[in-house]
Amino acid sequence: MPSQSEARLDRYTVLAGVAGAAAPLVLAGLGQAQTLPALLFSAGVAGAAVMLARRPRAPSPALAAHPSGPPPSTPPPFSGVLDELEDPVMVIEAGGPGEPAGHRLVFANAPARSLFRVQRQDARLITVIRNPQVIELVDEALIGGIAGHVAFEPAGAHDRVWTATARPLARQEARPALALLVLRDQTDLRRAERMRADFLANASHELRTPLASLTGFIETLRGPARDDTEARDRFLGIMQVQAERMARLIDDLMSLSRIELNEHIAPQGRVDLALAVTDVADAMTPVLRDKAVRVDWTAPAPGAAIVEGDRDQIIQVIQNLIDNGVKYSPRGGVIRVEILAPVAGDPPPVRDPEAAGLALLTPEHRPGELYALLRISDSGPGMPRDALPRLTERFYRVEGQKSGDRSGTGLGLAIVKHIVNRHRGGVSVESIEGRGATFSIWLPLAAGVRQARPEGVTEVS
Amino acid sequence: MNEHIVRSYEDELNQLAAEVVRMGGLAEAQVGDSIQAFARRDVPLAQAMIGRDVKLDAMEADIERAAIRMIALRQPMANDLRRTMSAMKIAMNLERCGDLAKNIGKRTLILAEAEPAGPVTRSIERMGRLVASRLKEVIDAYTASEVERAVSVWVRDTEVDEHYESLFRELLTYMMGDPRTITAGAHLLFVAKNLERIGDHATNIAEIVHFEITGQEIVSERPKLDTLTP
Repeated sequence: MPSQSEARLDRYTVLAGVAGAAAPLVLAGLGQAQTLPALLFSAGVAGAAVMLARRPRAPSPALAAHPSGPPPSTPPPFSGVLDELEDPVMVIEAGGPGEPAGHRLVFANAPARSLFRVQRQDARLITVIRNPQVIELVDEALIGGIAGHVAFEPAGAHDRVWTATARPLARQEARPALALLVLRDQTDLRRAERMRADFLANASHELRTPLASLTGFIETLRGPARDDTEARDRFLGIMQVQAERMARLIDDLMSLSRIELNEHIAPQGRVDLALAVTDVADAMTPVLRDKAVRVDWTAPAPGAAIVEGDRDQIIQVIQNLIDNGVKYSPRGGVIRVEILAPVAGDPPPVRDPEAAGLALLTPEHRPGELYALLRISDSGPGMPRDALPRLTERFYRVEGQKSGDRSGTGLGLAIVKHIVNRHRGGVSVESIEGRGATFSIWLPLAAGVRQARPEGVTEVS
Repeated sequence: MNEHIVRSYEDELNQLAAEVVRMGGLAEAQVGDSIQAFARRDVPLAQAMIGRDVKLDAMEADIERAAIRMIALRQPMANDLRRTMSAMKIAMNLERCGDLAKNIGKRTLILAEAEPAGPVTRSIERMGRLVASRLKEVIDAYTASEVERAVSVWVRDTEVDEHYESLFRELLTYMMGDPRTITAGAHLLFVAKNLERIGDHATNIAEIVHFEITGQEIVSERPKLDTLTP
């Protein structure tokens, strides 16, 4: 490790170099509507150029005066400008040759710090990114002086795709080599491509069944059943049901595609879970009355279960879950809805020792994060243990399931999972075959709520 | 933690841990690539990842050598001894993960010649992604020295077992339905088994991380799923 004062001495030149080297990258991104950061960046480049021009004539006394002074606590100049960028930018200093794990960060801008949860400014690069391709790329820039780029996908719940660009920075004598690493988020592009392919594959397969039925009836109506009024009425009824099913399928597929496109972008806004449940229950009154199903619910005091979220999407989650409950409940059944807050982020333990339980989605561990838990139970036929891992698969249906009409599209739980994943929450299920199923979702509490109720976490029983 | 007087000792320990993290990154990539190659029947990717396995072996040997050197020359005590030992043990587990991933790669090459298995492939892919996320979580826990996070990986081991169990039955049904699929089915079963074992290694690493940080073994009995026996 070089002494801190040396590092400080070089920050000016480093940052100037960063700005110069990164400018073309950023300008290339102008096409992607990043005008503001690019402008700021240009300002940074200009400022850095001025610093550079002034340096040889009047070296700043502050820089020269502390040969072994205290480590600098002030951020390097222009770091504010770099922090404004959307793309993560890092400057890396070479460790020993042949020791890629020894490279360290000299600087990381705000997006890089929050994305990789950088704990300290001089962290080793390996503790921040450990993708071997990126490590190799940086190693080549530092040791070989070669610029390059790779696309990489860090493992994680949110399937993001990045391109990493590394280039060597101007080298100073007797100092370790420096390199610039800029990441650009390509998730949107890649995802849009993949979505189109998936959509076509799913849609063409699933729409074929109702379509075949429609075509068949049309043929019959034009042929043998041409003058049979009774059959015609019956067929037209079936055709209408099939057409409606196609419409629902298309709606669900579209909504799933839209959700998946934004899955990596955290939602804005706050939603009170208790109010959302009331709204859904009110809207579903006609359906509930038709089937004589009752919704019983318990919730904490108003304001205790406010989560970070997109209201429409949260409503959709609750609606899909209650809808499933209604579908599989016998006539006169009861659906129990419970809201608990605050709870910890682990899947709630299975309540009945006989029940099979499985977490279908668990959020990435974030220390100290508190959640609101929503639990919806029905008294329907339940599901066998083997079926649980496949529940969120598109178009999956539990085999041999007799009750429950076939009006569903098979996409409801997939939609729930993707929405909850976008909200950084979790989904779990428990079920006893023949005695009903319980779906639980938990979502991070909104910021203010967390501070207002520090006095302890509700034990989920 | 008290600082070491000889600066380079601390540095050496950190360097050892950093090497383990680097190896973890490589093992993660190998596992991820094997799952992707399997799911997309991507033969070139499978071949490339099989070829990369030697790197993992070499890294394990390097880490072991460095750790032994450390023990011989520095005689680490208590916390430092745990750090040294856990580096070695984690490297061993990671190397095993790499071997299992390589095996998935090899089976992918064979499966690519057979008929696509449809929904079973998707179930295995889903299980693979779950296992990959466990491995990521546990290496994150090691990197950041977060006990809580390691424990959460350890506790949730049964989820992987549930997936394996469900897949096992799905595959049996599939093979009974059409005996011509037995060859492919057997390979698919091994792919699933390999993934399950990678999950076990992630759990092992969680135990090692817990011991390294706290000096104690995880005591409470983990619920174990064993429904294979009727």
